[in-house]
Amino acid sequence: MHISEIINENLICLELMSPTKHSVIFELVQILEQENVITSTKSFLEDVIERENLSSTGIGYGIAIPHAKSRFVKKPALVFGRSEKGIDFQSMDHEKAYLFFMIAMPEEGSNAHLKILAELSRKLMKESFRDALMHADSKKEVLAYLIKET
Amino acid sequence: MKIVAVTACPTGIAHTYMAEEKLIEAAQKKKIEIKVETNGAIGILNELSLKDIKEADAVIIASDISLDLKRFHQKKLKIVSTTKAIRETESILEEAFQDLFPIYLDKDVT
Repeated sequence: MHISEIINENLICLELMSPTKHSVIFELVQILEQENVITSTKSFLEDVIERENLSSTGIGYGIAIPHAKSRFVKKPALVFGRSEKGIDFQSMDHEKAYLFFMIAMPEEGSNAHLKILAELSRKLMKESFRDALMHADSKKEVLAYLIKET
Repeated sequence: MKIVAVTACPTGIAHTYMAEEKLIEAAQKKKIEIKVETNGAIGILNELSLKDIKEADAVIIASDISLDLKRFHQKKLKIVSTTKAIRETESILEEAFQDLFPIYLDKDVT
């Protein structure tokens, strides 16, 4: 099982338009909708916001990972979005978030998929990986970095 | 010095493993031996044995959910959120290194 099974170029957006936390979550959810990943945009959105209300998934380092395990998800997927200007995501370090990883997991996610996401989470802690994603010029390049073994 | 840690978060798919990675990376830099148990959606990985816990000089609980801490009764222990464990890893380890964690007494252990 490989990360390429949950992300493709259609699930990557290098120019997020949203100026606020709420709107960027909506923008990312819409990408999932277009790719036919979720059964209800509204309900999945609610699940993501419910998780977000527990504590912001803006973890600092310019990263936010809004996510939900939800019955409105048909298949596991990952959206990668990047914002040029950065967005206030109520992150712990009070810095803006630039890199967004929206994770959609079905209620009964397989261990294989969960392991891919665990591996991605670990990679995100590496500055070189974040820098590479920050400066990638194309979707292809982003995919290549995501797929690359560390 | 040896540290054991447990990481956990509400969904169990991201923060648990970010905190794990940061704790291991920062401990290696400080030449501190560490074992991190992840309590995520995959289930428990790298489970701490009684021996691990017994040998540990300090325990770090990086969790956003409530965990049963009985097995850490009378250990020097600090509880932080995963975000804090990710953001302030170095200072948490330094506190452990300086032996500043309080002793945890579990109310259910007599």
